[in-house]
Amino acid sequence: MKTINLKLKIWRQSGPEDKGHFMDFNATNISTDMSFLEMLDVVNSDLIKQNKEPIEFDHDCREGICGTCSLVINGSAHGPELGTTTCQLHMRKFNDNDTVYIEPFRAKAFPVIKDLVVDRSAFDRIIAAGGFISVNTGSAQDANAIPVAKEKADLSFAAATCIGCGACVASCKNASASLFVAAKMAHLNLLPQGQPEKENRALAMVAQMDQEGFGSCTNTGVCSAACPKEISLETIAQMNRTFLQASLGNRPPTKLSEGGF
Amino acid sequence: MLQKYCFFKSTIGRKQLVALTGLILSLFVLTHMAGNLLILVSPQKYNEYAHSLVSNPFLELIEWVLLFALVSHFIIAMKLQINNFKAKPQAYARSGQGKKGTDPVSQTMAIQGLLILVFIVLHLITFKYGTSYEVNYGTGPMRDLHRLVVEVFHNPIYVGWYLVALVVLGLHLKHGVKSLFQTLGFNHPKYQCALQVFALLYAIVVSCGFIIQPIYVYFIFQN
Amino acid sequence: MVKLDSKVPSGNIQDKWERHKFEMKLVNPANKRKHTVLVVGTGLAGASAAASLAELGYKVKVFCIQDSPRRAHSIAAQGGINAAKNYPNDGDSVWRLFYDTVKGGDFRAREANVYRLAQVSVNIIDQCVAQGVPFAREYGGLLDNRSFGGAQVSRTFYARGQTGQQLLLGAYQALMRQVGKGAVQLFSRREMLDLVLVDGKARGITARNLVSGEIESYSGDAVLLATGGYGNVYYLSTNAKNSNVTASWRCHKKGALFGNPCFTQIHPTCIPRSGDYQSKLTLMSESLRNDGRVWVPKAKDDKRHPAEIPESERDFYLERIYPSFGNLVPRDVASRQAKFRVDEGRGVGHTAEAVYLDFGDAIKRLGQEAISEKYGNLFQMYEKITGENPYKQPMRIFPAVHYTMGGLWVDYNLMSSIPGLHVLGEANFSDHGANRLGASALMQGLADGYFIIPYTLGNYLSSNKFESLNETHPAFIESKKQVSQKLMQLLSVKGKRTSDEIHRQLGQLMWEYVGMSRTKQGLQKVAKDIAGLREEFWKNVCVPGDANFKNSSLEHACRLADFLELGELMARDGLEREESCGGHFREEFQTADNEALRNDEKFCHVSAWEYKGVENSPLWQMHQEPLIFENVKLSQRSYK
Repeated sequence: MKTINLKLKIWRQSGPEDKGHFMDFNATNISTDMSFLEMLDVVNSDLIKQNKEPIEFDHDCREGICGTCSLVINGSAHGPELGTTTCQLHMRKFNDNDTVYIEPFRAKAFPVIKDLVVDRSAFDRIIAAGGFISVNTGSAQDANAIPVAKEKADLSFAAATCIGCGACVASCKNASASLFVAAKMAHLNLLPQGQPEKENRALAMVAQMDQEGFGSCTNTGVCSAACPKEISLETIAQMNRTFLQASLGNRPPTKLSEGGF
Repeated sequence: MLQKYCFFKSTIGRKQLVALTGLILSLFVLTHMAGNLLILVSPQKYNEYAHSLVSNPFLELIEWVLLFALVSHFIIAMKLQINNFKAKPQAYARSGQGKKGTDPVSQTMAIQGLLILVFIVLHLITFKYGTSYEVNYGTGPMRDLHRLVVEVFHNPIYVGWYLVALVVLGLHLKHGVKSLFQTLGFNHPKYQCALQVFALLYAIVVSCGFIIQPIYVYFIFQN
Repeated sequence: MVKLDSKVPSGNIQDKWERHKFEMKLVNPANKRKHTVLVVGTGLAGASAAASLAELGYKVKVFCIQDSPRRAHSIAAQGGINAAKNYPNDGDSVWRLFYDTVKGGDFRAREANVYRLAQVSVNIIDQCVAQGVPFAREYGGLLDNRSFGGAQVSRTFYARGQTGQQLLLGAYQALMRQVGKGAVQLFSRREMLDLVLVDGKARGITARNLVSGEIESYSGDAVLLATGGYGNVYYLSTNAKNSNVTASWRCHKKGALFGNPCFTQIHPTCIPRSGDYQSKLTLMSESLRNDGRVWVPKAKDDKRHPAEIPESERDFYLERIYPSFGNLVPRDVASRQAKFRVDEGRGVGHTAEAVYLDFGDAIKRLGQEAISEKYGNLFQMYEKITGENPYKQPMRIFPAVHYTMGGLWVDYNLMSSIPGLHVLGEANFSDHGANRLGASALMQGLADGYFIIPYTLGNYLSSNKFESLNETHPAFIESKKQVSQKLMQLLSVKGKRTSDEIHRQLGQLMWEYVGMSRTKQGLQKVAKDIAGLREEFWKNVCVPGDANFKNSSLEHACRLADFLELGELMARDGLEREESCGGHFREEFQTADNEALRNDEKFCHVSAWEYKGVENSPLWQMHQEPLIFENVKLSQRSYK
């Protein structure tokens, strides 16, 4: 079993008001079979034994699907590997005596809670604004009543694989949430079930996205490269198109539509 | 609440305005560049073309449209940029590597834009509002723009500054042209590759086309 | 002995649910908004229940420990969801799904519940498709099905290997729609630490705000617990790191009975642990066993590279022992056999705690491309984690704790033994008996949330009177005080060991003695050992920091304290159940060829444990709910 030693520079911040700073740690005898988070577990375990507060970081499923883990590792969201979450990143991708910078996802809309933990509830509010299909329980027709072209269903699925981790925001120089919002819109708008609310959804989600303080898209494409699910930039173009259509075509409020949506 | 949320206030709406005005400006630079190439034909053709432009009654309207496009392109883009700075108050200690790394061209559009704006202002002062020589080819007096161009581009400092500005314009176009399709909602896997090539070619053609004039005048054209 | 009333309606099994729905009282639409319902947990069961109840007009408050409801561990389910749709026309029916589930659970589930589950399964698929869940489709645009373990029909709907994620996002979006409308109030990063009882009814919860550290009270007319399973008592499992038993356990200590705690499912195909630092295990879909062959070297301690071991020196033990089912035996059987091989000293890899799953033959037969098309994403995941290329050398796999069939005891209405406390999804003792079939967990979670609780909760609310009360009631104040005291106690130990270390030790004990195969001596020993470890924990745990802000070590220690109690109960339950059934294998009770031997005479019942309090010894008393099978004949499972 191969082991390596690393020099870690980890962001510590005691709370949202604190300015924060990098702190140096040495991770020694790290097995290359460890995952990145297991390496942090080792560092934390040493801290606890010295009765020092461990480094707070978000994690949960540790198999790349829940979207809880975050971290910017050496400037890249979820580390250097493509299509990988931090929890799936393994230490064999690092070399002995590497210096590793570990920072939280940075964006005004993702305020730091403590150390490497950030608040991503802005994403929930965007979904609450329109990231759904309005169907009450019990009112659905038979599942096979509406055929969906396989190609569309597959594209919709590809967009729906978004795990809501926020790496797109973290890696974007503008902290834009475009890829997240666009992926959800693509997921729903590509399906026949999503058509009735398509335009309202675009307007509502974009309005909420802007209100949360995310930046705008400048089409650099870093979001898609950082996305652990490799969601395509095409979804952003689709969002732009739907938004344009909706903005040009939406009607002024009438008596009938009041209280609607 | 939705109806009140104005297209012009949304980040996407604003981006689309930047894209539309950018589209106008990129078409303009292409025609401008094509006109410049007449310098290779003869001084007379060059001046006559310039004269036909200024004597066209629609020119003023077009100038206003261009000015409007330029000013709104600049103001909206800057507003977005300021908003983007606010959205990302702190940078990372390291920058990403490989595909997750940053592309300096697309990351510096605002700086390029500022530089191009300075260039445009100086350019208008130098030529549009510069010395007005006269020449007569038998059809009546007209402005001898060619003479001014030759004067200006025999100055190496001018030539150097133009080269820099025009290369930046090319970079700006490379990302801008590709980007405007994306922003206006066109991205299709079948055409995406062709589109990238088109944007690159467009940028090269416009940029090199413009560069030909100062180079030609400085190195080749002698009075 | 207390007689547990399962409240199963009388009559023909096909009509029970329909008639019960009619007989239950309704809540007038205008009165619904007067009722506040607290939903704890936002996985499939919790999110679907909260959304459905809010749609009906109830005021709902929903709590989750994660930063967003979308992160609940339902998201990690891979395979699919069963439903008796019979779209493939291959002979499926509600009855067959019911039968397969009861049989798969080794006849330790309540018939009427399982039948209802099979009935509503068809509505779940309709509901999910309408919400925009992108299930796999055929070229004609209709839904695709695949077959799954324990069934002879194709009734599993799936969304590539991410079915749980897609279903959860559907439920999460329905929930967030209600949050947007103001019908649901969402409290994320909140951990429920106590149930508040007023006049014997569940009327609220005490929760810790995991960011500010504040202890908060929430009152309502009913509490719905959908907090998942307790597999993390084994430390290493396929559960998410933060999955825990605390909410269930605190309810148990307030009087809710715990049903069949020893029934755990161990999944045979997981990526083995690579060292002592291992923090969790990753599942590899069961479907791999369709083409992979499981083997170990014939010789003990054979350290050769697998490629150097000739065919004649390999033991394809599943094919040898079960010639007709071969590598496709059910989960519990495959898991147990792998453990036997490792115990014999024939395990592989540097830890010697694994067996090979070899695709060499399949690649030779079908070509690498065909294999990659079928399993490409799984192979990639394997390589990401182990750094080994499974096209070149056999995968190493080993069983891992995956699901817990046990949980809080509930009646037909999903209400626990505490009035007003309803338990949904994996958190209840559930419909899966002693073993869960693949693709049934998602079905059960959504059935409970979308189609059962909205009816049964209405009945509870309209049949009871609720005095108005708020969080200043003495019961809330007292609960807050106790919760704070317990946290302070943890912080004040200031010992030498981290809670992670103690948790690992607990996990090893559980895995060794309450794992795939159990014995009387082992269970007796481990019950004592766990009690001892618990004592050590309270004397020697080290929890830095304080309770006034985000403190993950405090969160972990707090959860571990409950696991240390649960572990002992699991051992006691296993000891009491002197038979082998499904996931519970007692070495003393096996057939001549090492198969599980049930004892239907004495153990055809649910063991529901009541917590008696620290002043009593033993801490628990067992009650029984007899299981009566009127529609399915009890029989011995065989896979030879």
